[in-house]
Amino acid sequence: MNTEEILLKYKPDKENLIQILHEIQDLHPQQYLTETDLLKVAKYLNITRSFVYGVVGYYSMFSTTPRGKYIIRLCESPVCNMFNSKMIAEKLKEILKIDINQTTADGLFTLELSECLGLCGNKPSMMINRETYTELDENNIELIIKNLRNN
Amino acid sequence: MEEFVKITIDGKHINALKGSNLLQLAKDNGIPIPSLCYHKKLSPTGACRLCLVKIKGTNGLVASCTVQVKEEMEVTAFDDELEECRKYLLDYLVSEHNEENDNSYTDEFFELLKKYNLYDKSKRKYPSVWKLMNYSKDDSSPVLTYDASKCIKCFRCIKACDEVQGKNVLSFNDRGMGSYIIAGFDKWKESECDGCGECIQLCPTGAIVEKPHRSEININNLDRKVKTTCPYCGVGCQIEMQVKDEKILRSNGVEGVSPNDGRLCIKGRFGYDFVQSKERLTHPLIKKNGKFEKASWDEALDLIASKFNECIDKYGNEALAGYSSAKCTNEENYIFQKFIRTVFGNNNVDYCTRLCHASTVTAMLRSIGDGAGSNSIEDFETTDCLLVTGNNIIETHPITATYVKRGVSKGMQVIIIDPKWTPLVNYASIWLQPRLGTDVALLNGMIRYIIQNDLMDKKFIESRIDNGMQAFEYLKKLCQKYTPAYVEQITGVPGKLMTEAARIYATSPTSMIATGMGMSQQVTGTNNVFSLINMMLITAQIGKERAGIDPPRGQNNVQGATDVGASPLNYPGYIPVTNDENRRKVAEIWNVPYESLSSKPGLTTVEIAHAAYNGKIKALYIMGENPMLTDPNLNHAKESFNKLDFLVVQDIFHTETTAFADVILPAASFAEKNGTFVNSDRRVLRVRKVVDSPGEARNDWKIILDIAQRMGKPMKTYNNESEIFDEIAAVTPIMAGINHERIEEHGIQWPCYDKNHPGTSTLFLEKFNTPNGKAKLNPVDYVAQQEKVSDEYPFLLNSGRILYQYHSSTMSRKNDALNAFANKSYVLMHPNDVIKHNFIDGIEVKLTSARGNLTTTLRISEEVLEGELFMPWHFSESPVNNLTRDELDPHSKIAPFKLSACKVEKV
Repeated sequence: MNTEEILLKYKPDKENLIQILHEIQDLHPQQYLTETDLLKVAKYLNITRSFVYGVVGYYSMFSTTPRGKYIIRLCESPVCNMFNSKMIAEKLKEILKIDINQTTADGLFTLELSECLGLCGNKPSMMINRETYTELDENNIELIIKNLRNN
Repeated sequence: MEEFVKITIDGKHINALKGSNLLQLAKDNGIPIPSLCYHKKLSPTGACRLCLVKIKGTNGLVASCTVQVKEEMEVTAFDDELEECRKYLLDYLVSEHNEENDNSYTDEFFELLKKYNLYDKSKRKYPSVWKLMNYSKDDSSPVLTYDASKCIKCFRCIKACDEVQGKNVLSFNDRGMGSYIIAGFDKWKESECDGCGECIQLCPTGAIVEKPHRSEININNLDRKVKTTCPYCGVGCQIEMQVKDEKILRSNGVEGVSPNDGRLCIKGRFGYDFVQSKERLTHPLIKKNGKFEKASWDEALDLIASKFNECIDKYGNEALAGYSSAKCTNEENYIFQKFIRTVFGNNNVDYCTRLCHASTVTAMLRSIGDGAGSNSIEDFETTDCLLVTGNNIIETHPITATYVKRGVSKGMQVIIIDPKWTPLVNYASIWLQPRLGTDVALLNGMIRYIIQNDLMDKKFIESRIDNGMQAFEYLKKLCQKYTPAYVEQITGVPGKLMTEAARIYATSPTSMIATGMGMSQQVTGTNNVFSLINMMLITAQIGKERAGIDPPRGQNNVQGATDVGASPLNYPGYIPVTNDENRRKVAEIWNVPYESLSSKPGLTTVEIAHAAYNGKIKALYIMGENPMLTDPNLNHAKESFNKLDFLVVQDIFHTETTAFADVILPAASFAEKNGTFVNSDRRVLRVRKVVDSPGEARNDWKIILDIAQRMGKPMKTYNNESEIFDEIAAVTPIMAGINHERIEEHGIQWPCYDKNHPGTSTLFLEKFNTPNGKAKLNPVDYVAQQEKVSDEYPFLLNSGRILYQYHSSTMSRKNDALNAFANKSYVLMHPNDVIKHNFIDGIEVKLTSARGNLTTTLRISEEVLEGELFMPWHFSESPVNNLTRDELDPHSKIAPFKLSACKVEKV
């Protein structure tokens, strides 16, 4: 699959923009949208560049800078916050040696914060790519990261 | 039906159209509810909340810009609570706004800050939040700067670009407090922005400001603002020039006035610096020993007078001719043609319209009796279908195109016929791409389909076409052979696409045609337009509002120059030179013997050059034309000019043509004179003096009168341009009711027969302007072009214009802002041809035709068909007209600029 093939799956109608952007971003090993791709999208949908870029800029799940193979989205909603998500964030920063919104030097992990993931019952929680991880504590996050590293 | 309702605002009773916008209604009725994000031209946003009002029966405060008025609405616009609330809101808004360099506020914003006592920063309650936000600044565009720290996110710029200009180049990025305006991928320079500056004009806070003269502009410190008419294309946009210390610093669109309602393109907004260019001609120059030397006016004028007289004595008065100018005013063109007819004593006066829409005008005059556009520019938004043929309307008539784009957003169907892609294709329902020079076959095919499917209007044919059904039957017979398959074979256009286009055009309630140079600049130019008119007539897509045919005019006053008689065939008002009765009438007004006015049609533009070549024309007087770039087959044209005994060129700059002159006279630019232009929808518009001319430059009409005087044949003198116009009105029936005073605020569209006549927005509603009032079908067959590709010349070259330059670029290329966007010649070639010939994008190539050659840069592009090329013709270093032919269309004498066989080689 390449960008052109993804585009051809959709009618050239701007209502398909977000879906197309998702697919293209997912296709990229570094999970981001390049300007070349955005140009192709704009041209295919017959919309202006700023229209595409504004949508990309509005939604936090889209990125225009390279990200890791694994994107960690740690929930920072009130419930997780009350149950120590701040500490989890600090611990993740320590393990990965990066700050929020940064990517590890080996290109494996990007650390992001997220609005409520709807997993308040098993707080604190996070997602890594499409997987959910709940009831986090200092120990299990270390293991989660370690497992992914060894993958 | 429009329904009126009674409402009250602050106790004032107002009769209002039901559903009208409450805020606008209040403003119109002198109730100045404050607002920032609202603008009359835009859909309401409701973002700034300053227009809050109370409406009886509605809870809370509502933004009046979002309210449509209803019966018995009781509104409170001002009370203490509302005013306090507004002050709070404004204070809050300006906390996001960096007030440094506040010299670009709109008046409304400036007044608001003063009204609520917030202009003084120390009076504000909230801290400057913008300082914490680390806002970005986009300084990459050549013409503007966006500073997010000054932006209050009213979104007027985004809507200006989208709703007003139809470009949609701007959007916003990020969320909440951090959001800001972007063009492209957050870099203006690399966006689709074409620099029209609508966003600058509508930005209230100075967040988007122009770059040219930025440091000099101070709205509180201007010497004057002068309204005038843009000197570029034929839209006739009304501009307001802002002046400080005798220098033009800014050009804004005039809001609320036709034809542009405040809109401008990049040329109108940023193309005025040529006026104050150091390269302006400031003194008369006389060629002595092959070199130009400064001369006094007396010396230059005396020399011209004696040489012209000498020429008349030696060769007779048929040996002199003049080129008038589409860039000059009506008053100047009128005086020029009067000079040729009364002082030279012949009708040898023409100008570049002959190279432009002559065939369109010829076909229209013969078919429907008028060569001017039948509709108004505003109709381009409201018609149901627009057929655009050979007309790159977005680039060559940018403001007319804004109406088209707005129409498309409301459901108008656009059909394009063009061998080359144009930006309007992005807005079109159908694009037919015929091979160069095959238009008649395509249009006849469309006519055949219309007839076969009974989509014509028999009632119209019977009542409004000369010889009714009989003429129709003849057309039907002639078009019989143009089956979709046959047409596809000639034109390359798929039959299905062609028939669909024909169906949409014929069956839309109203269809308009915009026809351009692609149709007219061919050997078959007149036939092309005949065929187009045939289709229009049988479908009755004329003779009603929002239907008809409109040739958008390329230059500011190409319409007016012919209207007032700068024509070898017609006197002012399109009255043929052969019309004795008219010559008698005019002779009386001009106070010359009737016998002295020649009834012999004069020579046309290219014919004048040919006659010079053959020794028939010996002296030539050129006012504001540049034939040494604009004439076809330039090498031949140059030889012709070299054979002249005496050439006078009157211009504002040195041009390719002044080099051939014996005397050069410095003239005033549009910004230095009073007068009128006529735009593409026949609107007579005022031109006003903004600044003084540089050096000794003089008004054209005064120079002409001086020459007549010194030749011993003095013409009538005038105190001002208004008096000249009164004489124009006296000899030009279609302008009889117009004078400068009447068009002080708004232009008037001719015909306007008397002082009480309101002007005419749509032509031919009752009858056509032919002797019997009926239109004439002129069935024409497709004839293959003489100029063909061959082994030696395997490409067909098309030529045209681009947005950023204008005509021979004498004016446009003197503006840094325009040059920043496009200042280099190029030729477009289809990717398959590039591969086939083993070329690479960007290389220098030499183009050669049977007439001449040039070098330019190759650009790979899918905008052209395989085997065809396209070049813009503005650039004198790569003069396209070295390659073009000077064979002429037999009906209109136009030259075929659009089709030249040539070869391409690596340099």
